Amino acid sequence: MAASNSVLGLYDTPNAGADAMDGLKSAGFELGTFDVLTGTPYPEGAFGEYVPQHRLFRFPFFGAMVGITLAILFTAGTQLAYPVITGGKPILAVFAMLIIAYELTMLGAVVATVVGIIFESRLPNLNLGAYDTRITEGYIGVVVECEDDRLEEARGVLQTAGALEIKTA
Amino acid sequence: MQQRRILDEFTVNHELLRGNLATPKWWLPTVLGLLVVVLFGFTLMGIMFNRGLGVTGLSRPVYWGLFITTFVFWVGISHAGIMISAILRLTQAEWRRPVTRAAELLTVFSLLTALFFPLIHAGRPWRIFYWITPYDFARGIFPNARSPLVWDPFAIGTYLTGSTLFLYVALLPDLGVLRDRTTGWKRAFYTVASLGWRGNPRQWRLQTVAGILLSALMLPIFVSVHSIVSWDFAVTPAVEGWHSTVFAPYFVVGAVHSGVSAVVTMMALMRWLWGWDNYIRPEHFDALARLLIVVACAWLALTFAELIFGVYSLEAPERALREMQMFEWPWNLLFIIFFLTGFAIPVPLWFFKRVRNNIAMMFWTSILVNIGMWLERFLIIVPGLSRKQPFVFTWDSYQVSPLEWGLLLWSFAWVMMLMLLFSKFFPLIPLFETKESQVFTTDVQIGRVTMPAVIRELD
Amino acid sequence: MATTSLITDAPDHRPSNIESTALLAGEGRTAAGTGLKRFMWLLAALSVIGFVGIVFRFINDDGRQDWGFYAATLAWMLTIFGGAPMVAIAPALAKADWVRPVARIASLGAIVTAIIALLMIPLLFKFPALTQFSEVLGDDVRRRSIWFDSPSYAPHFWNVLILLTLALVGMAMAYVMAIPDFAAIRDHGTGWKQRWGKKLARGFYGRQQQWEWLKMRIGITGALYFAMLLYTNFTFSLDFAVSLVPGWKDSLFPFYHTITTFQAGIAFTIIGVWAARRWGGMNKYVGHEQMWSLGKFMLATTLLWFYFFYSSFIVFWYGRSDSDSATIKLLVSGPYIYLFWTVFFLVFIIPWWIMIWNKVRDSVWGPPIAAFIILFGLFLDRIRIYVSSWSAVPDDLELATTSILQDMPDTMWPDVFDVFIMVGLPALGLLSILLVTRLVPLVSLWEIQQSRLITKPVRFLRSHVQLVGKPD
Repeated sequence: MAASNSVLGLYDTPNAGADAMDGLKSAGFELGTFDVLTGTPYPEGAFGEYVPQHRLFRFPFFGAMVGITLAILFTAGTQLAYPVITGGKPILAVFAMLIIAYELTMLGAVVATVVGIIFESRLPNLNLGAYDTRITEGYIGVVVECEDDRLEEARGVLQTAGALEIKTA
Repeated sequence: MQQRRILDEFTVNHELLRGNLATPKWWLPTVLGLLVVVLFGFTLMGIMFNRGLGVTGLSRPVYWGLFITTFVFWVGISHAGIMISAILRLTQAEWRRPVTRAAELLTVFSLLTALFFPLIHAGRPWRIFYWITPYDFARGIFPNARSPLVWDPFAIGTYLTGSTLFLYVALLPDLGVLRDRTTGWKRAFYTVASLGWRGNPRQWRLQTVAGILLSALMLPIFVSVHSIVSWDFAVTPAVEGWHSTVFAPYFVVGAVHSGVSAVVTMMALMRWLWGWDNYIRPEHFDALARLLIVVACAWLALTFAELIFGVYSLEAPERALREMQMFEWPWNLLFIIFFLTGFAIPVPLWFFKRVRNNIAMMFWTSILVNIGMWLERFLIIVPGLSRKQPFVFTWDSYQVSPLEWGLLLWSFAWVMMLMLLFSKFFPLIPLFETKESQVFTTDVQIGRVTMPAVIRELD
Repeated sequence: MATTSLITDAPDHRPSNIESTALLAGEGRTAAGTGLKRFMWLLAALSVIGFVGIVFRFINDDGRQDWGFYAATLAWMLTIFGGAPMVAIAPALAKADWVRPVARIASLGAIVTAIIALLMIPLLFKFPALTQFSEVLGDDVRRRSIWFDSPSYAPHFWNVLILLTLALVGMAMAYVMAIPDFAAIRDHGTGWKQRWGKKLARGFYGRQQQWEWLKMRIGITGALYFAMLLYTNFTFSLDFAVSLVPGWKDSLFPFYHTITTFQAGIAFTIIGVWAARRWGGMNKYVGHEQMWSLGKFMLATTLLWFYFFYSSFIVFWYGRSDSDSATIKLLVSGPYIYLFWTVFFLVFIIPWWIMIWNKVRDSVWGPPIAAFIILFGLFLDRIRIYVSSWSAVPDDLELATTSILQDMPDTMWPDVFDVFIMVGLPALGLLSILLVTRLVPLVSLWEIQQSRLITKPVRFLRSHVQLVGKPD
């Protein structure tokens, strides 16, 4: 099996970056194998990039279910374990349990959402592959994942679009 | 109103990372000075644990005094973060950008500070473990889920966790910038902290979605937290002036009032200390002042409702309390100061554009507001308690002890020190939000007029 | 790199100004079709039935408790039609662009507030004076109220005055917001519309100074309306509900009433937008962006309904004093328990469950469904509050001025005259709005034209975006 390479072209203008993305598309590279790296968010689709759907919205629901389950276990469990009537209220005081249930539901939703964000962002991934620190200074990086046999073609497309530098990892 | 500067990413990085990549001369002496006060405060806590709560002014019937006042005050300040970050994010207000991180940070640190007070107030805080965790019922101490005092840790814990995670998620892109701008152990630290952030469209898109989703989740939490804190007082009919249904929104709106004012104070300090004139501009203070006017008017309506219903019942004890609060020494003086500083001085001033755009004026009026809001909590808690039982063997009213004043001072020093420590390692103004604003704002020509414009993505 | 260099023009498929003007000002959908005329005649008939109900209510009247449904109906109308103009004001103050097409529909609600002020007059004859028990208990004994030692008929006087002021300010705001469209009708309309357009435009020709004047007037009337709405909710809810019940001390209730006013106003606007698209031919001007934004606000106010309700409830439930328990029993767990749970589901659970889904919220059909459910639920909620309050008349008058409701009233059911009132009065409100829309366009033409001026579709590199100008 041919080794997989990561090739980065660095550009000093967004237009050049968009041209590089167009070039890669025209050259037949599969969507999802090339990507653009920027130091600031641009409007979605500004570089003609492909962004697969995320499933982030499932995470809060899962977290909320876990949270409310824990809350009911905690409140009902403690109140039944030591059934002391306080202030004339019932042992299982639903209106009071509601508050703790609400808080733990929201906590579960928030924690699960954050886990989801990190997961869906494909993080943590400390191996950056082909990367240049100038990207966070306003340069645009276009990175291609390709096999050895298409490596030169990828470099050629990136160079044609006006890359200042090309890196391989 | 629009005072946009056109800045490239290199300039933004250089100016906003000034405090992280190098240390300003004033930073270390300030942190050391604050550390002295903080250590003094911890010493006072130690004295209190050693000698008992008798070293404070607390006594029957005023068992809640300055500590609980300050607890409620700091929980109130914490409401700034979500108000500004979440609501302004959801409404796509451009002017929120330089403010969001500092506001979220204020939320986290003020919540941490607030948490100290009920803990030290217990006298023997290590026993609280038995009271909020279902452990070892044989001792006779168990979490009473029916009590608002147990609702509090859940609410504040949820808010603190959520705010911290929100802060961290929004920090990821900037951690990537810091990774790229540093070397050595710092680079290793930021590499791990940034989790490998690269800045591809998937990650940016999830940042946007995260901001909206987390904002939508945090907003109900933000409303619930101070409502639950208010129910510590409102649910009990035993104390005059407390058993009022309006307390929940009253406390929440008051919290927003004090919190946003604290953000104004902080923004002025940030501009002056770090020289961020390009990023924190008079237009931001103008927008915050307008928001404060709306919030302050809502607060006034709720205060009016709380006071008028205090006498609505025509019950003698409640009327006597209100007369004491407003007409008897020393409460009358505190009441006047509370009203003047909380509303009557700052709000009319904010109606003038010259004042709204004057950063020094905004700084001082915001401080006045927080003095007033601290006094508001004091006036809610202490007078009602001091009239709780008609026959008491102690005829003194509550006297705040020097130790309690010392711990109040400690709380301010603690928050400021934590903010300064954070500022050394992480940028206080979000870099990516500032850069995003450069991309998403432009000018458009209509006739002879050039007007600022924003780019909105189509669904 | 400056963003300007990355932007290029894109095709603009929005309706041109000329098409908009001709369509909205002169011809087209403002002319009443057969279906609309039939509907208006139906509303007129129902209105007459409503008045018949009021007359017979006066004739068949066993006391204050028989007027609860009338009070509830007025409260419901005030909630919906009084709250709707806030949808026009609040986002406009925040400089939101999406609200422009819906501002007119929202502001038309103000017209009905004048009718509500007039309809309150019969109710005032049955509304008890503060010293209602003086003949039995002595002159010093008064019902607990926010008017304290004011003259005995202070609530009557002030409520009418406040409501009339609200109506005046609301109609002034609605009128000022429509002046440029009256000018368009004057210039492009025919017949009676052209004559009325000329009268109401009052010489507006679009000079720079006239536009400045217009903006200022809209700002002032908007802010005044907001203040008056809060004040109206405060006095109406306290006088016509809370102070009628011995022992009901609820400082949050006026704010609960206010937030449901906003909720109902948004729901009304959503339904109005839906109707404008469905029958008014306004598909090109109001779309899913308006539904989505309004839907978000409606979801927020739905959550706030629960928040305000629960904030009151938990204080009463936890406190458990005699008056607390009596209040809960009257409003929640006693004679109106089934009504309460129905309200809980219609105003909170079902709309919340509908609106939390992105796809539903971001559609043109989802928010209207939730809006209809909310409006019906709020109607039942007003019945729960006002019917129970008006029927809380203690048998023993000595107890009427104490701090505890001791005689729990029985469940009141509406009789045929109450039904006439509950159907007829809202029909009258709706009819008045439809009559006004014979002349006034359903969407704010000048605001849409302004939006078109400051927004345009553009290309940003390879993506399509919208450029939105931000004038100060």
